[in-house]
Amino acid sequence: MEIDKNFGNYVEVETGKKIYEGTLLPSPETGAFLLKLENGYNIGFNKKDILKLKVIRKGKDEKKEFNPPFSEDKKNIAVIITGGTIAARLNPEKGGVDWLTTPDVMFRFYPELFDKVNVKKIEVPFMKASEDMDYKDWQEIAKVAVRLLNDSEIEGIIITHGTDFLHYTSAALSFFIKNLNKPVVLTYSQRSIDRGSSDANLNLQCSSIAAISDIAEVMLIGHATENDDFCYAMPGAKVRKMHSSRRDAFKVVNSEPFAKISQNKIEGISKYKIRNKGKVVADSKFEEKVALVKVYPGQDPDILDYYLKKGYKGIVLEFSGLGHAPTLRARKSWIKKLKEVQEKGLIVCASAQTIYGRLNPLVYSNGRELLETGIIYLEDMLSETAYVKLGWVLGHKEWAVSKEKIKEKMLENVAGEFNNRLVE
Amino acid sequence: MAFDYKKLGFKAGLEIHQQLDTHKLFCECPSVLRTDEPLSVVKRKIHVVAGEGGKVDVAAKFQGEMEKEFFYQTYDTTCLVELDEEPPHEINSEAVKIALEIALLLNCEIFPATEIMRKTIVNGSNTSGFQRTVLIAHGGYIETSEGKVGINSIYLEEDSARPVEKGESSVVYRLDRLGIPLLEISTDPDLKSPSQVKEAALKIGEILRSTKVRRGIGTIRQDVNISIKGGRRVEIKGFQDPKIMEKCIEIEVLRQKSFVDKGEKNASEVRNCLPDGTTVFLRPMPGSSRMYPETDLPILKVSRDLISQVKKNLPKLKSELEEELKNQGLSEEMISLLFKEGKLQEYKELYEISGNPKLISKLLLLLPKEIAKKEGKKIEEIEETLSSDVLIFVLESVYKEKIQEKDVKHVLEKIVTGIPPQEAIKLEKEDFSDIEEKIMNILKEKPGLSPNAYMGLVMNESKGKISGEDAMKIIRKFLK
Repeated sequence: MEIDKNFGNYVEVETGKKIYEGTLLPSPETGAFLLKLENGYNIGFNKKDILKLKVIRKGKDEKKEFNPPFSEDKKNIAVIITGGTIAARLNPEKGGVDWLTTPDVMFRFYPELFDKVNVKKIEVPFMKASEDMDYKDWQEIAKVAVRLLNDSEIEGIIITHGTDFLHYTSAALSFFIKNLNKPVVLTYSQRSIDRGSSDANLNLQCSSIAAISDIAEVMLIGHATENDDFCYAMPGAKVRKMHSSRRDAFKVVNSEPFAKISQNKIEGISKYKIRNKGKVVADSKFEEKVALVKVYPGQDPDILDYYLKKGYKGIVLEFSGLGHAPTLRARKSWIKKLKEVQEKGLIVCASAQTIYGRLNPLVYSNGRELLETGIIYLEDMLSETAYVKLGWVLGHKEWAVSKEKIKEKMLENVAGEFNNRLVE
Repeated sequence: MAFDYKKLGFKAGLEIHQQLDTHKLFCECPSVLRTDEPLSVVKRKIHVVAGEGGKVDVAAKFQGEMEKEFFYQTYDTTCLVELDEEPPHEINSEAVKIALEIALLLNCEIFPATEIMRKTIVNGSNTSGFQRTVLIAHGGYIETSEGKVGINSIYLEEDSARPVEKGESSVVYRLDRLGIPLLEISTDPDLKSPSQVKEAALKIGEILRSTKVRRGIGTIRQDVNISIKGGRRVEIKGFQDPKIMEKCIEIEVLRQKSFVDKGEKNASEVRNCLPDGTTVFLRPMPGSSRMYPETDLPILKVSRDLISQVKKNLPKLKSELEEELKNQGLSEEMISLLFKEGKLQEYKELYEISGNPKLISKLLLLLPKEIAKKEGKKIEEIEETLSSDVLIFVLESVYKEKIQEKDVKHVLEKIVTGIPPQEAIKLEKEDFSDIEEKIMNILKEKPGLSPNAYMGLVMNESKGKISGEDAMKIIRKFLK
């Protein structure tokens, strides 16, 4: 009984008690399989309970390829597909996941994407869930993006991506792509694309509008609210996933969106760089030995020894409130250890675990004591952006020459990661 | 319109949808329908997506072409799950248990492993664009006077949001109903006449009501699938009342017959029953290609242990209960009152304490009414005071011989006037000892009289606080 070889075929299975007919499908559980009955429902069986299996007819492998529409009147964009919910579709006939990686499949699921633009190119550097990505993937995306941005036929690019770590990628691209000339749009989906309610549809429509707009920025585009009516174009280095499941999961932190986009129009909200004819270059050197650690009550500062021993060059500590960690009055003070590791060459930066607001170590004596150890306080920069930026700065040998130079680069507003006028 | 249904090749099957009386199927929200102002309104669009193998389901396409905007009203009794902003929680185990009870009562075989499916629905009545549904059991039957009717399948699914306002290009839905557990029972196309359809519907209804299902308008919906020889299957929805069913089926048979007579075939479609029994086109018949797995949830496993646990506690049907009550010695009048007033559960509780059906039915059904009448109060008010705890206490007092059966009415009357139950029964005893003392005094004051003469004096003195029988007992006790 070759159960696994018959997935997709219409079969008859015999258990001790009964005979069932249906399409054989793999089960998410091992040792089991599913049978899709004529009424469309799937029921489960243990492989060991099956006495007999008979193939009644082979499943059809229908594949009709076609070219999506193309119009001379529309502007051309390119799409980079990297994986995630927005590009994954369960195959209910054979089980497993189908990736949406070709123009015709993209068109079948997102016909509205093609309403306002021609999708001239689709590039698929890799297919990954965003939680499986790291800096090497950011470098890969940056490489492809730079090539496409320098293609005079392409007006802008859309990058589809999983949501979990999307804001790390958006921060990385903000630093990695130098002299940006065209829109770089990152977008996502929180609801799977096989459902009529998928948020991907509006996100992609708004992304296509942004991709041919004059906003030459790395931006993340997604639902602004729970409603399917408009999206925000959010600055890549100032955005964070703030909800595990809502479609408006991404929020701008300590800043404002570049623009509000609906299916028909785009309205500017804050200042952005204008589209230009320059050449872009990839500047994606990255030091892998950086870490991001959240400080919590009673935490032992010896954790820093671990990073030092493992050869880490820099660490972002997510501090409490205005920028605090346990000090001399705590049972386990961090002051001495912080001094010690920095003397040994570890770069220590501080970001805010409150997410919103700016650090200010001068308000309380605890903050002043911590500041005196030499920590670089990163103002209102997001922790995730800070982690990416620290790796990027330390990856540049010409900057990593001294702590002063590193501090100077960390505090330089390279990609809109700082906002010195918080209004909320 | 008396047809020879056999000759016509009449075939009908029933589809019954019944809401279960639990919290929602895939979240912890209560199943409460709201009539007040919503907390907020969320705007959404649904777009048609290719189903399995890239096919767009006919029904899905038909609805999707309408390009509507949907508005969803939220309440403090709805959450992110109904809004399609959070994945479903694990399936409600109480609802599964009730579904299993019903499956067993309908003699069905239960699937030990079954996948929760998404049925594409694009009319906006589900925020997700699909309805979650799971096949629970199959292959059952019920008996009717016109023969056995097969139960094809039993499904557990989530109810849809209810439309509150329909416009040209938009629909407003209320999220309160979305996610209420709904059990769907579909029979085989075994029904051979409109009267059998009605009988089967009533029979299944009785079985459903023996379990924990929601009651009242809109909590049960019946659809009928009808075809005649040479025609195509038509599904008729929207009868709330089984009474209209027979008439509607007759009219539909006539409609289908008019096609067949002309050598044509009626379209296979879903039609809606109007109050006068006629029907109107609703939408094309959905295909099976609109079903795909709910990947956010594990496969539903129904263990043998669970089935045998449910089997042990299966509820009894009304007809079985009536038989049981009759055997306990209750009159038919009392039995029908018990069902009519919905006091069966209370009766059972009280019966466990004393096993005195006559006294219990009197306590539950007759005395509150008598007292209400006497006191000029509303029956609801009386029943609120005479709660089941109070009745249990009074019954226990009889059982422990603190009071006698005949005192019950008097005790209840006292309780209704505001005397706490503990006091109400105590007072009865004190009254008695008080009378004993009086009787002793009478005997001392007027020695040598006959018992009957004392009796006269005592009754005069006690002013009805003691029965003649009791008075005589005390007199005889003292005379010895």
